[in-house]
Parts: sequence; structure tokens; C-alpha cells
Amino acid sequence: MLLTRKTNGSAVQQSRLAQGLNGVLAKTIDRRSFLKRSGLTAGAGVAAVTFGSQLPFSMIGEAKAKDDSSGKIEVKRTVCTHCSVGCAIDAHVQDGVWIRQEPVFDSPINLGAHCAKGAAIREHGISHDSHRLKYPMKLEGGKWKKISWDTAYDEISKKMLEIRKQSGPDSLFIVGSSKHNNEQAELLCKWARLWGTNNTDHQARICHSTTVAGLGQTWGYGAMTNSYNDEQNSKSLMFLGSNAAEAHPVSMLHTLHAKENGAKVIVVDPRYTRTAAKADIYVRHRSGTDVAFLFGVLYHIFKNGWEDKQYIHDRVYGMDKVKEEVMAKWTPEKCTEVTGVSEADVYLVAKTMAENRPGFIIWAMGQTQHTNANAVVRATNIVQLALGNVGRSGGGCNVYRGHDNVQGATDLGPNPDTLPGYYPVAVPGSWVHWAKVWNIDLDWLKKQYASEALMARPGMTVSRWIDGVTEKTENIDQDPNLRMIFFWGHAPNSQSRGSEMLEAMKKLDLMVVIDPYPSASAAMFAMVRKDGAYLLPAATQLECDGSVTASNRSVQWREKVIEPMFESRTDHAIMYQLAGKLGFADQFIGKKDGKQNLRIVKSKSGDEPILEDVTRNETNKGTWTIGYTGQSPERMQAHMRNMHLFDVKSLRCKGGKDALTGYDMTGDYFGMPWPCYGSPTIKHPGTPNLYDTHLHPMDGGHTFRALFGVEKDGINLLAEDGIANKGSDITTGYPQFDHVLLKKLGWWDELTEDEKKAAEGKTWANDLSGGIQRVAMKHGCSPFGNAKARAVVWNWPDAIPQHREPLFSPRADLVEKYPTHDDVKNLWRLPTLFKSVQQKAVKDETHKKFPLVLTSGRLVEYEGGGEETRSNPWLAELMQDCFVEINPKTAADRGIRNGEYVWVSTPGINPGGGNPRLKVKAKVTEGVGPDTVFIPFHFSGWWQGQDMLPYYPEGAAPIVRGEAVNTATTYGYDRITMMQETKTTLCQVAKFQA
Amino acid sequence: MIRRLLVAAAVLTLAACMEVEQASTPERQAGQTVRRDTAAWNNEPLANGPKWSKGDRTSWEEQIKKRQLAQHEDRRIYQ
Amino acid sequence: MARMKFLCDAERCIECNGCVTACKNENEVPWGVNRRRVVTINDGVIGAEKSISVACMHCSDAPCMAVCPVDCFYRTSDGVVLHDKDLCIGCGYCFYACPFGAPQFPQAGAFGLRGKMDKCTFCAGGPEADKSDAEFKKYGRNRLAEGKLPACAEMCSTKALLGGDGDVIADIYRERVVRRGNKGAEAWGWGSAYGQPPKGGVAPAAPAGGKS
Ligand code: SF4
Ligand code: SF4
Ligand code: SF4
Repeated sequence: MLLTRKTNGSAVQQSRLAQGLNGVLAKTIDRRSFLKRSGLTAGAGVAAVTFGSQLPFSMIGEAKAKDDSSGKIEVKRTVCTHCSVGCAIDAHVQDGVWIRQEPVFDSPINLGAHCAKGAAIREHGISHDSHRLKYPMKLEGGKWKKISWDTAYDEISKKMLEIRKQSGPDSLFIVGSSKHNNEQAELLCKWARLWGTNNTDHQARICHSTTVAGLGQTWGYGAMTNSYNDEQNSKSLMFLGSNAAEAHPVSMLHTLHAKENGAKVIVVDPRYTRTAAKADIYVRHRSGTDVAFLFGVLYHIFKNGWEDKQYIHDRVYGMDKVKEEVMAKWTPEKCTEVTGVSEADVYLVAKTMAENRPGFIIWAMGQTQHTNANAVVRATNIVQLALGNVGRSGGGCNVYRGHDNVQGATDLGPNPDTLPGYYPVAVPGSWVHWAKVWNIDLDWLKKQYASEALMARPGMTVSRWIDGVTEKTENIDQDPNLRMIFFWGHAPNSQSRGSEMLEAMKKLDLMVVIDPYPSASAAMFAMVRKDGAYLLPAATQLECDGSVTASNRSVQWREKVIEPMFESRTDHAIMYQLAGKLGFADQFIGKKDGKQNLRIVKSKSGDEPILEDVTRNETNKGTWTIGYTGQSPERMQAHMRNMHLFDVKSLRCKGGKDALTGYDMTGDYFGMPWPCYGSPTIKHPGTPNLYDTHLHPMDGGHTFRALFGVEKDGINLLAEDGIANKGSDITTGYPQFDHVLLKKLGWWDELTEDEKKAAEGKTWANDLSGGIQRVAMKHGCSPFGNAKARAVVWNWPDAIPQHREPLFSPRADLVEKYPTHDDVKNLWRLPTLFKSVQQKAVKDETHKKFPLVLTSGRLVEYEGGGEETRSNPWLAELMQDCFVEINPKTAADRGIRNGEYVWVSTPGINPGGGNPRLKVKAKVTEGVGPDTVFIPFHFSGWWQGQDMLPYYPEGAAPIVRGEAVNTATTYGYDRITMMQETKTTLCQVAKFQA
Repeated sequence: MIRRLLVAAAVLTLAACMEVEQASTPERQAGQTVRRDTAAWNNEPLANGPKWSKGDRTSWEEQIKKRQLAQHEDRRIYQ
Repeated sequence: MARMKFLCDAERCIECNGCVTACKNENEVPWGVNRRRVVTINDGVIGAEKSISVACMHCSDAPCMAVCPVDCFYRTSDGVVLHDKDLCIGCGYCFYACPFGAPQFPQAGAFGLRGKMDKCTFCAGGPEADKSDAEFKKYGRNRLAEGKLPACAEMCSTKALLGGDGDVIADIYRERVVRRGNKGAEAWGWGSAYGQPPKGGVAPAAPAGGKS
């Protein structure tokens, strides 16, 4: 038969050809096959250690292969926990074991698609050979020792209360997590305040804090303006500081679809990334010169009259001043001098964006992690405003957030300067508002703090906690130094200046790590300490329910897939149980005057609050500013059950009822992207694209927010005549709504009697009835007013964004022309250096000793600090070594060959003396220019050449370990938000010598 | 590089540039040493999976082809 | 009649490895065995970089099948190339014959002996009773027997990887190629695997009379 016939002759021939083909495939240099292949033996070694050598198939899992026609399999719908795209997953669970994972084709966000992380997520549920922390542990005599939960709670709380007595509540710093769901994030924010400190922060600080500040100061809200989906309605997509193909892979589904429909894709990046490989135009610029590049683009826009003059007149304040400055300062020569990009390329980008409107500028950490990032973000906003690209479908600023819930944790979670919903700690009214919602006694709360002054003072940031420990006490803006730290779902290797972190760890009285994976914190600590640390195993987001906000502000509800594994407990259970030991359990659950916000249930984690109660009774009741008030658990759950009803391009439900509850979703946008104003009963549909005046507010339309007054130096800050939401009863600019405005307009009587009672003396942002919002929107008005966006932010040090050279600049010759800021004596409670560091570097000629720019970024297989994903064998196998990307010329100059180990050293500080250095493999590639090298940031577990395995708790070390790039990153923080500089520093690369 | 691969591929298949006859092999075939294998459509559909009528190849194929359109984002986008 | 095929769209594949881990997950393939791999050609070369996801293509005139000395391969009626691990002697001939490097061998044991060959099954299990424990342990899931398609293709992040009936694939791909102005009209590997002119844009789904 033809099928099985051995066609000898052709078989021989084929096999020879096949070998040729294999040969070609094998010869291609690609980072995975080559580094991995070089690691294949290492991989086998790892496998041998980890799994035993001759491994039979399907021993990794406990899954039962048997299909089950009897239907005992339950399907739980959850959302991937590895990035902000928010891909839905159907988990098949049998007898409490997660046996299968199926794509959710119905999801309008991912249409069933997953990247490596999402497609490997079931591994979390596999107990065999798990690398998780399995029970509470304590460092004793230099060894990790198993202890019980009770012992852990007793010892930790005793120590905390003792230190509190000596040094006050501000001796504690709580690093929260962007992987907590919205409810847990809100609870942790409250937890820190009930303890009595603002010293709490999470990943958003080092992720998009500069974005949030920059966008917020420009037009009102610090969030992605549109959705990934909306890119399908776009004509140009410029990625500046985003490698979406690796960081947000499934977003590329929308990007590539748009591209195939004719949208132009532009990638501007020092590296030729996987995203760049899909671009129509790729431009390589020098790391850290984004403002210069953007203003170079803007120069051509103005010069050719491509700006949208009507739009600027109607909706933008201060563009004339920006224009003046740009035309004078950012001529093509100057732009090229700074960025290294030719005039022709800059022009091409400007022209492409101008001719292909609407368009997006898309960014992630490439823009945000700079000492000058607040300016970069604003320059981006200004370019988009000039082109009239903001406030419409198909155009805007698409900010790709990192962790799955970093948007939600920023909105609601443990921030040092704000309470949930961005109510500032500095404003007393914020405390009144939240004390009321939380049902706690404000006077009691005030007494928890060291003083009312410290209650109103933003706390320290996660990027600087090490200085909070080590800085001289007289230099810091609170009484004590930090003595205790909680790492509650946050890796230490994501913070810069890792080499100095060890010094801080040496000094701490107490470190508590609450994490499913104890992370590098445990190993780093054990490297320098004999005692003083506790590890508590937390459950993952797959082991509890709760809501999660994707990058596009859509809120999705996760079902619990499995019970917490081993002895782990949910984060909210741990918060509640520890609160009990510290004496604020009742306040934590809002129990006062016969009322109780949160009910308590018994679970595998012990007593824990019900998360739906948090959504319903706290988030929905208090977060009026950003509209987390309309997304009730019932609405979210209905959306999750009926994903097929939502349109992919618009995210809108054309019609349909939820079979279970009868809830009619017609008109809702998927996940009710915030702001979803008013109470759930008024059925606001959510806001798919911010500031889009083409829609009525009850259809998700809005104006720019009136956040900065009505007038500046005689110039009108409100929108001009004719600019208002579709169907608006006010057709010109107006300020924020409050009870006075409502009365003046004669709309007060449209409130119900109950609403009137609640709204009297209140604004749209603190009227607990939601009546003001309801009536404003009924009249087609946005509750937050109708103003212009600001191109000039007069309250910031750089009113117009300035290019400023990085503290460690390869272009010492440009430092004088584009110097950084002056040092600041007190920023977020700490002295912060700018000029003194930069000038010392110039004086020392640091750029000669360290001539290469070191930048860092993502790999698709791993997330964040990476301990979790490097513990997953399906992912770990794909990337077994940390590496440095280096240009062939740079490598040849140093005698370095592909796949060899090299030392990468930086001008950072090694407290033990010398400069920090990293032992990584060289990946020789033209993907980076000769002046730049790149190291991914997900690795940890090696310390300057040494494997830290002995310092990990037994069985809880990740499979793949490597050098953390942040061990060697250098000093440098954003002037506004204290974002760390990790994208531009200097280094030298040398052949490895032991 | 891709081009070269394709050229190689093209040469490779000159000998057999036609789709070969696909014989249905639910049972062991002459000259074939392997044991029998059940055809996909002869299985009972799962309780929570796609449906077809057991033993009916056409109905199985119909549903497979329908399901396959999930790999085409257009079908979901312009549904 | 349906004829199962794969196609990876190099204009779309972003080397995210979703397909690779989807396969690991669904079939619980051990460390060191990769039924599917993603290869990037010209990594870092501006304008020339391309990524392609590669696994067994279930070729029409399968070279592995032709060279196997113990005849352990067979083809299902929907065109999937499978093999019987009980017969496989681990000689490795198929690996050298395969144009795609699909056959995998679990770690070499003592004295250079190879283990039984493993490769992509198109998520169709193997000769053991469908959906049995034995089938899963030796060959992985049988998604076709569940009315589903390969896990890798179903989860591809950009829908670059298409897996299923060849006619439907050709239809989808043709639409795509036309929309983007004939870019990437050559469907990588199709000529080699299925003996068709590798033109998604021009060729009919399958040569007349060539399918059953
Ligand atoms: S990591 Fe992001 S893109 Fe990948 S599957 Fe998860 S949510 Fe989707
Ligand atoms: S078809 Fe199944 S076995 Fe083959 S590569 Fe895809 S997931 Fe793996
Ligand atoms: S999942 Fe799709 S895009 Fe990702 S590597 Fe595989 S084929 Fe390419």
C-alpha cells in the first residue's frame, strides 16, 4: 500500500534533503534554541535533579486521563494571572484536582488564545514535585525550619507589637502586590492604614507610576485610554517602549489583525524586538532619549501643519507654549544628536502617524522606568493631543500594564499616597469618606497613626525601602527608620540596586514574606542573616475568587478553581487572622454599631472574609472617583458566563440576557471598564474609550476631566463651546458636579429624597448615594466636569517636558546641555539625589570605564521577578539561562563568543567593595546596537556568580535560577513618582574568568 | 532564509507532488504491523465537550470544521 | 473527508511559545521532549527575522513511515500519522528522515540506547483504547476523539498556528493572505509535508482528487 510502502530510493534522497533542512534549521541563531541547546545538558542535569532521569510520560501531573462522560468534571472560568491582557481560561476540575485547561473562544479579549504562560497555567494546580512554599517557615540559626500557622502568627505579631512600642507604626513597610485581586488589594490598603502607616506600596510604583501621574496630570485619569481590542479600529500603532510580543503576547492578536487590515505598525526601541519583527517601520534610538525623539516627531508635525488645530483649540490647554519650545529646541539636528535617529526616520514616523489617524502610541516599561519618565509620558500625551488622537475609538494612549491586576491594585490597593480610588491621604476629606465606607471610627484610626501629620503624609515607596532602612535617621521625614518589612506578593529582584538591598536586610528586625513562592527574598535574607524572617505560604489567585482589572479597565470575576494547596491560605484570610493578633480584626471587617461590612466564613484557610462583600459593601460603595461603583459581583459574573454576547471590536453587548439571573446585558461593555459610574442599578455600561465625546455618558462617552480649576492666568481651562458629550444638556465646558452646581442648574429636585439627604454638601466623588452622578449623566454630562487636557503641567518641575540625560549617561558631553534635576532633600520621605550622582559620574568618567548602555526587559516565558514562572517546568525548560544580548562587533572586540559566560559589571555599589557584576551567558545578536546590551529581568537565585540554592527553603527553590539584573542596576529615580531607573544605565562586559 | 527552505521543500516533494490517497484504517491493514485504532467519531462525546452522533463520521467532521473556525479570529470578530 | 494538517503563519508567529506549553500541558510531555518547537530564523536581523512553530506535520507521504524498520507507523483515516510505542525500537531512523525534526527521544539512557520515540500526535493519542489511561500515559490526550482540535493550535496567541481540516485551513489562510496583499503567501512547510504548491493565496485547498 502506498501508505506504508518503503520507497527506498526516495527515502534515502529525502533523508539527505531532510538533513539539509534540519541543518539549516539548526544553524539559525536564535536565542532559545541556542542558549537552550547549550543548556540542554544543563537542562538534563536539572531534570535529573528535579524529576529523576528516565522519566515516564505524564508523571508530572496527577491528572486522570480518563474522560468522564458521567459529567463529574466541573468547569470553572478563571482569568490568567500572568499579565494584564486578561485571557480567560476554562479549568476542568475533577474531585478537586485541576485536570485540564481549555481555551475560551468566547472571550472577546483573547478569543481562546494564550501565550506560553497562560497555556501552562494549570501547572499551578499540580502538587507532585511542586516548587511552592508548602507550610509556614522561620529562619532559625541560619536554617529554614517548618512551623505552624499559630506559631508564626504568635511570633510575628509579638515582634511587631514590640517594635511598634519602641519605634511607632512607621517602622513597618508593607510591599503589597499587583497580583492580589481587587478585593484583596483594597483590603491590604485598609490593613496598612489600620496598623497606622502610609508606608505601603506595590509593583505599580516600579511599573507604571510615571504613566499614572503623567496621564492623570494631563487629562484626568492615569489609565490606558482604550482597549487592546480597539486597536482593530486604528490606522497606526506606534510602540515606543513596549515589547508587546513578549510582554503582552495575546494583545498582538489585535495588533496583527489591525495590521492586516492596513494599520501601520511602528516600533521605536533600542532593541530589535519580537514586536519590531512585525513592524512596518523600525527605528532604533538611544535608550533614555524618548523625550527628544517625541519632540523631534512633534517638530515635523508642527512644521508641516499636521496638527489638528480645531481639536487643540477646543480641547487642549498650552499647546502653543509647547510648540514654541519644540520649534526652537528640537530641530532635526538636535534630535539626531541626542537620539541617534536620522532626520529622515523621524520625519517618516511623523508623517506616517499624521497620515494614518486615528492612531495609538503604546508603551510599557520602556517609557516609564527612567529618571525622566514623567516627562517621557507627558511628551507622548502631547504628541497624541497634537494629532487629535485622544478621546476617540482607534486612537489614544494604550498603556500596557504588567501584572494581571496591576491596574486594579493601583486603583484600589496599597498605595503610599492614596486611599482606594485615588482619594489622597493628604486631604482630610478622604479619610472621612473611607472611614465611613469602611464603617470604622475615624478617631480610633487617627490614634493608630504616629500623628495626624504622618497620616496626611505620603509614605515611602517600594523602590526606596532599602534607603528607609539604611539612611541616617535625621535625613528621613518620619521618626524611625524602617525596621520591619512585609513582602506580600512582591519579588525583591524587581527593585534596582539589589547589591545594596543586602545591607538593608542585614539591618532589619523582621522580614515576613507572604507568597506562594517564597521568592528570592528568602534566599537573599538567608545569605546574610541567621534569623529574623518568616515565610507564610499564600494561595494563588486560582485558589480563590475575586475580581481582576485588565489593562483596558475591564473588570473580570474569577471563580475559584481549586482549594488552596498544601498548607497555604488565601491572602485575605491571612490579613484577617493577623489583624486579629494585632488587635484590629473588627475594624478590618467593618464591624461597628451593629453593622458589619464583611461576613466571615470558615474555609480551608481558616476564618476569612467573603470577597463579594468587599466588592459590594466597600468598593462599590466608596470608589466614586474612578467608577468602581457600578460593577457589582452579579453583573461581573453575568458577563463571565456570557462572553459570547460581547462584540470583539467594540466590546459591547448587542443584546442578551443571562440565563441564570435574567440580568439583561444589552449595551454593557465587557467587564464594564471603569469608570462605571453610579450604583449598579442605574446600569452604566462602563467606558470603553476614555474621553470620547462622540458618545452619551450612559453609552460610555466622556469629556476630559476638570481637575485643575476653571482658569489659569486668564486662560479658560474648560472645554470650548460645542465640545460636550453627545446628547449633553450643557454644550460647553463645565466644572465638576457638586450639590451647588446641581442646584444652580435646577436639577437638584431630580434626586430622590434619600439621595438628597446623602448628597447635601457633597460632590460627585463623595456622594455615597451616587445621585449626583446619576443626574449629571442623565443630562448627558460627565460628573467630573468638561475641561481641556493640559499640554503644560504648571505644577510640576518641568511644566513642559524636558529631555534630561540619565544619571549614568554614555554621552557625558550632553550632560551639561541636558542636565538632570537638582537633588531633592525630601521626596516621599527620603532625600533623593539627582545632579550630584550625575556630575560625579561625569567627573569620574564612568562612561569610559563602563562604555555600554545596559537596558533590561521581559521574556515571554516569565513574569516579573520570575520565581513563580521559573518554578513551572513547562516554562522553565524553554529558558534555562540568564543572558546578555550583545552586538557581534561589541562581542568581537572583547573576544566573546556566542553562548559563553561573561561578566557584566556596572557602576553600582557593592557594599562589600567594588562594583556589582553578573555572570550571564552571551547571546551575540544584531538585535542590539554596538553601544547597548540587554539583560532580561526575570532571573534570581544567583548572586554575582554564586548559586544561592543552599539558601532557599528545601523544595522551594525555582527550577531555573540565574543572575538578577537588578543586583547591578544603579541609583536613579523619577522626580515625581520615585520610579526607579532600570532601562538606562552603564556597564562593561568582559570574558568570564572565575 | 525562508526562501531557501521553501526551495528545498519544493525539491523535496518533486517525487511526490500530489496529495496521496488516504486510506481509511480503522482496522489493521495488510502490511501494517500496528494494532487497531478507533476512529475519532466512534467515541462517545464528552458530557461537557463538543457534540456529534457517535459513529457518524459526517457529524463529527461537521462539528470539527465548525470548531476550527475558532482559529480564525474573523469569525468571532464579525460574528 | 477531513484531512488533518498544520499550517504556521510566519507573518503572525511571535515566538511566544504558547503552542509549546499548551502541548506540554495537554499531553504532560516530560522535560526534554518537545513535540513542538518554535524556531526563529535570522534572530535580530532587521527586516529578516521570522518565527515558525514546528512539529510533526503529518505528511502525506510520510518519510518517517517509509524508513521505519519495524513498521510502527500508521495513518488514521483523517490523515494523522501515529505510531505504536510497543513496536518502536528507538533506532532513530525516523528522526533522520523527518524534514521537520519532529521525532523526539526521551533522554538517552545508559550505553547510548535511545528510549521509545515520541512525537506530536495531532492530539489524537495512539493505538491504545481511546481516552484510556494507557493511551494518555504513552501518547497523551486524544482530543480528536473528544471532538476537539490540537491544543497548540487552539491556544496559539496570534492564531498563527492553524490545525485541523486542510480545506478549512486553506480557506482561512487564503482570506488572510488576500487581506494583507499577498504577504506571506507561501505557507511554510506545506510543499514538503503535503506535496502542494506552497501558495496559500493561489492554490486550491488540495489538488483535485487528491483527498479522500
Ligand atoms: S500572560 Fe497575558 S497574554 Fe499570556 S495568556 Fe496570560 S493574560 Fe494572556
Ligand atoms: S497537536 Fe497536540 S501533540 Fe501535536 S504539537 Fe500540538 S499539542 Fe502537541
Ligand atoms: S503560540 Fe502561535 S504565535 Fe506563539 S509561538 Fe506558537 S505558533 Fe507562534
